[in-house]
Amino acid sequence: MASNVSLRVAKLAVLSESPADEAAFGILIEAVLERPFVRVRANLRARGWPSVLQVLPAVIRHLHFNTDAQGLVVVVDSDDSVVHTEAHDAPDYFHPQCRMCRLRATFRQTVKRLPPARGRERVLRGVGVAVPAVEAWYLCGRDARVTEEAWASGQARGALPYTRGQLKERIYGTDRPSLEYALRRAVAEVERFRRDTRRLEHDFPGFASLAHDLRSWTLG
Amino acid sequence: MIASIAFHNFKALRSASVRLERFNLLIGPNGSGKSSLIEGIMRMGALARLPPSEAVPDGEGGGDRAEVRFRLTPPYAAWEVVMRCATRDHCDALRWIHHAGPENPVEREALRERLRSVRRYEFEQAAMVRGGAGLPDAELAPDGANLAAVIHHRRVAHPDAYERWRRDVLRALPEYDAVSAETDAEGSAVIRLRLVEEAEVITHQDLSHGSLCALAIFCLATDPSPPAVLCIEDLDRGLHPRLLREARDALYRLSHPGNGEARPGHSQIVATTHSPYLLDLFREHPEEVVIAEKHGRASTFRRLCDCPDLAEMMAGVSLGDLWYSGVIGGVPEEPETGGAEVRTAPGGGSGS
Repeated sequence: MASNVSLRVAKLAVLSESPADEAAFGILIEAVLERPFVRVRANLRARGWPSVLQVLPAVIRHLHFNTDAQGLVVVVDSDDSVVHTEAHDAPDYFHPQCRMCRLRATFRQTVKRLPPARGRERVLRGVGVAVPAVEAWYLCGRDARVTEEAWASGQARGALPYTRGQLKERIYGTDRPSLEYALRRAVAEVERFRRDTRRLEHDFPGFASLAHDLRSWTLG
Repeated sequence: MIASIAFHNFKALRSASVRLERFNLLIGPNGSGKSSLIEGIMRMGALARLPPSEAVPDGEGGGDRAEVRFRLTPPYAAWEVVMRCATRDHCDALRWIHHAGPENPVEREALRERLRSVRRYEFEQAAMVRGGAGLPDAELAPDGANLAAVIHHRRVAHPDAYERWRRDVLRALPEYDAVSAETDAEGSAVIRLRLVEEAEVITHQDLSHGSLCALAIFCLATDPSPPAVLCIEDLDRGLHPRLLREARDALYRLSHPGNGEARPGHSQIVATTHSPYLLDLFREHPEEVVIAEKHGRASTFRRLCDCPDLAEMMAGVSLGDLWYSGVIGGVPEEPETGGAEVRTAPGGGSGS
C-alpha cells in the first residue's frame, strides 16, 4: 500500500480552514516528502474545529470513493484544548479533550468501515495539530520562546506564555490580517523550512506527528 | 410546471441541463449560472406574452446560436417550449412543440397563459421603504417596492389571503402583536406593526431590511393568484438564520399546497442562496437542491440527490458544513496554493 506512494507522485488532499493555511501546508508537505505532490481539488475547507470533526468522515469517504487521492492531510489549531503528549500514544489510549487523539480516532473509525476502492485499501492519514495556532509554527526559529512545550507548561501552571492574538500580531503586524496578506506571510515563513524541517519538528511535536504520518506513507 | 430546462450557449450556460422539482434551491459560487437559469425562465415568460409565431425556423443560425428548451409537467407534459436567441443576450422567439399528436390550440393558449405569469424577485430595502407610488397593487413589484400597496389591496380584495399573511408575519416576528395594512393621511398604503406590550406602533418604513424581506416573502407565499413559477434571488437575504425556517415553510405552503393548509393556487419555486443555514433545512429533501458548478467560463447543474453516497456523507454533519467543505461541490474556484492540482468531480465522478 504505502510503497505505491513511494513509487509515484503522491496525490494528496488538504483539509484546512483557509487558502493561507493550505499554501503553507503545501510547502511543508513537500519539504517532508522531499518531492512535489499533486493536490486533489476542489479545495476542502472547514469552519473551525467542530466543523473539522464533523466533516472529516464525509471528506474521507468522498476522497476514498470519488477521487484517487492517496492521502489526506488535516491540520487544526489546538486553541485551548489539551496538548497531545507521548502518553496519549500508548495503545488504546484516547484523550477526549485532545484534538490529535480525536482526529486520529475519527480517521481510524471512518476508514475501517470503507471497502477497498480505486485500487487502494484506504486513504492515508496525515494529521497535525498546531499548538496553540499555526502562527506559532510560523514563528519557529525566530523566537525560541515560542514552542509547544512552552505553551503546555504555561497551561499546566495557569499562566500562558502568549496569546493567539499576540502570535498573529507578531506574524502579521495585526490580529486582523487580510487573507491575501496572511497567505503571503504564511508562505514566506514556512519557506525557511523547505530544505529542513527538523527544528519545526523538534519545537512542535504536533508538526512532528504530521511529518511522521507523511514519512510512514513512503516507509511503509 | 417546468420539468426540465436544457441550455445551449445561453450566457454562461454553454451546455447545461437541469431537472426541476416543485421547490428548487440553487446553490453555487458567484457567477456559476444560478441567475442565468432564472433569467432563462424570465425571458421565456416574457416571450410567452407575444402571440405564438408559426414561422420560427428550427436550426437557423447554426449550432452556436443560443437556445433554451423547456419540458413541462402534466397536464402539459406533451409540450416542449424552445426559446431561440439571436445572440447570447437577445432571445426573440418561442417555438411551441407538441410531441404527442396534433396540438390543441386551446391547450397551448392555456399553457402560454400560465408561462407568462412567471415572476422574479430581488428585494431591496430602499425600494420597499420608498414605496411604489403608481405601481399596480395586485402584484408585488420585482424589488418589493409596492409591498404596502399590495397588502392593502389584498386586505380589501382577498381577505383570506390577507389573514394568512398576517398570521405568517406575527408568527415569524413575535416582537409584534398586531399588524395591519391601512392608508395614511395622504392616501398612501402603509403597513403598521404594534410592538408587544408597548403602545408604540411603527410603520413598514421603520423596519429593518430583514424584516421587510420577511414581510415580502410572506406576501408572495400567500398570493391569492400565484405565478406558475416564482423565482427569488438570495432568498436568505437579510433574514436571521432562525427566520429561515419560517420563510421556507411559507414558501413550501405555496409549492406544496395541501400540506396542512388549503389555498387557491400554487407555484413552482426557484430560489438562490449562499446560506449554509438555509441549505441545512433541505437535508430531508436533497432532490430539491440544485448545485451549480463553475468550470472556467462555463457552468453546469447537478442535483444534490445525484451525489453518490450522499446519505453516508451526511451522517453526523450538517448539509451546510458539507457544502462549505467542498465535497458536494458548488464552491468557488481558488488560486493554486502549492502542489500541482488534479481536479475531481465533487460528490462523484472521475478522480483525476
